Amino acid sequence: MRLAVSDAADQITGGRAVPEEKKPVIVAKNLTVGYKLHRERKLLTALRDITITINKGEFVCLLGPSGCGKSTFINAISGIVLPWEGSMEVDGKPVTGPGPDRAMVFQDYALMPWRTVESNIRMPFEFQNLGLSKAEIDERIAHYLDLVDLTGFEKSYPYELSGGMRQRVGIARALVTEPKILLADEPFAAIDAMTRESMQSELEQFVSKTKQTVVFITHSIDEAIILGDRIAVISRRPGRIKEVIDIDLPRLRFDSDVKSLPEYSEMRERIWDLVKDEARSGAHGEE
Amino acid sequence: MSEDELHTPEKSDQYSDADRIREVKLSFGSLWDQYGTSAVTVLNLTVFFIFWEIFARSGVVNQVFFPTASGMLQTLFEGLTSRAPPDAIISGQIIDHLLYTLRTLTIGVLLACAIGIPGGLLMGGNRYIERILSPYVWGLASLPRIALVPLFILFMGFTVKMQVTIVTLAALFPIMINAWAGVKTTEKSLIAAAKVFGANRRQIYSNVVLPYTLPFIIAGVQQGIGRGMVGVIIAEIFGGSNGLGFLIVRSADTFNSELMYAVLLLLVIISLSFIKITRMIEVYIAPWRQQVIM
Ligand SMILES: Nc1ncnc2c1ncn2[C@@H]1O[C@H](COP(=O)(O)OP(=O)(O)OP(=O)(O)O)[C@@H](O)[C@H]1O
Ligand SMILES: [Mg+2]
Repeated sequence: MRLAVSDAADQITGGRAVPEEKKPVIVAKNLTVGYKLHRERKLLTALRDITITINKGEFVCLLGPSGCGKSTFINAISGIVLPWEGSMEVDGKPVTGPGPDRAMVFQDYALMPWRTVESNIRMPFEFQNLGLSKAEIDERIAHYLDLVDLTGFEKSYPYELSGGMRQRVGIARALVTEPKILLADEPFAAIDAMTRESMQSELEQFVSKTKQTVVFITHSIDEAIILGDRIAVISRRPGRIKEVIDIDLPRLRFDSDVKSLPEYSEMRERIWDLVKDEARSGAHGEE
Repeated sequence: MSEDELHTPEKSDQYSDADRIREVKLSFGSLWDQYGTSAVTVLNLTVFFIFWEIFARSGVVNQVFFPTASGMLQTLFEGLTSRAPPDAIISGQIIDHLLYTLRTLTIGVLLACAIGIPGGLLMGGNRYIERILSPYVWGLASLPRIALVPLFILFMGFTVKMQVTIVTLAALFPIMINAWAGVKTTEKSLIAAAKVFGANRRQIYSNVVLPYTLPFIIAGVQQGIGRGMVGVIIAEIFGGSNGLGFLIVRSADTFNSELMYAVLLLLVIISLSFIKITRMIEVYIAPWRQQVIM
């Protein structure tokens, strides 16, 4: 079966069925981060005063206008950027850099052009020792290649693939280590509508099995509602959390045809209004 | 041989006629891809030399200045395949001077690589080294190296050492600056990806920065060879009694236009071969950049 998660995933999550008690995994407190602009010798604040707690096994979607700091937020979780003010904690420890408990799907794929598909997916195992044997690693790679439907392209280089295929390599690379925390930056953006739907459905089922904590950036309200337990709407730069919305629609939403429920369209309307406000206020220029 | 012999029976059943036509077309296309451009080049050059021959024989220009193509090619061929008779006006045949020049060039370019590649990598990798070295690198790189030739002659005389120094200096900066630029322009998102998946500083350098920079280095070496070539010929023209540059001067002095043009043609051939070889190396080492090169 394609969706079967390898045994290691059950070990990671302790084989627990339902994580009833809420255990905070990602905790941002008054987090302010940004970038140093080399040219102009000034600092750019990308996110200001973000406070949010993400619990174990939760699927949080981030929505917000382009440039509001969504990528920056998951970069802060992954440890690529460090807090200027406030704090970012993962599993109770302040984030000082990347770790094997977190993996990421990059918005611009970030595949090594000199590595084949297979070698790109193997990369996480080369840099960190996850205690797997060679055979186990091979099996994992084959499994996740199959999951993203790229079996047969092992020996291809990224430049030989379409944009959507590259993105799927990026997804496989993030899933292959079966990390406790999955950070996904618009992972389905380059994938066509049909494949996208089937991948959403697969991801929903996959995560409901692995109980991974997921932070998922998207520009699609529908995608956010289908996949998310909560949706954080972020305001324009410097980004703040405008509102966090609980999605308490039944799982698995893809199979249960949740889109036809009245709650769904209500929810959609509400989020649309929030996002629209942001987009509109953007028309009046920066800050 | 008929189509049927090419396919096993059950396999040929799978092919419609349209598929077969496509196959034939494809094989012609691939044949064209492989040999088409070379064929055009050969034809092109043949026509060029024929026009040259006609023009030279027409007597519009004195053959002392402009030899026939056949005479030049014959001189080139003989010069490359035989040794000089002991009583020749110019000592040594083309082949001897060619080998001499190539040796100087090779040593010089290798030295430039040995200094320039690590130097460029260090400059790209370390901000302090970059700060300290970059004014000198840019300064020397912008100085026309020919202007330094008299200085080196003063220091070292008409020696191989002087020629190698000039080649090294000429080839050094393109190599160094390219390696430096490669490191500096390494895509940030690739470095971020390596970090996220657990790479430490050393692994980032060896697994991301170096492979990313490799095509830049090859491009730098390619430019370096070109500059080194200019350097060695100039050094040989300035003085000495060996090398293709010297041969050009000697052939001019002795009104041997066939020899002069043969050497010039040889220089073109050498330069083009170097470019071709480095491109092949680049395609082999960095296949992902193939699209850019073609
Ligand atoms: N490496 C960087 N250096 C400098 N500024 C940056 C860098 N990355 C992002 N920024 C700035 O930070 C702000 C937030 O960027 P970020 O990439 O987080 O936005 P985003 O919400 O992911 O946008 P999008 O939806 O377009 O991907 C932007 O204004 C951008 O200009
Ligand atoms: Mg982004």
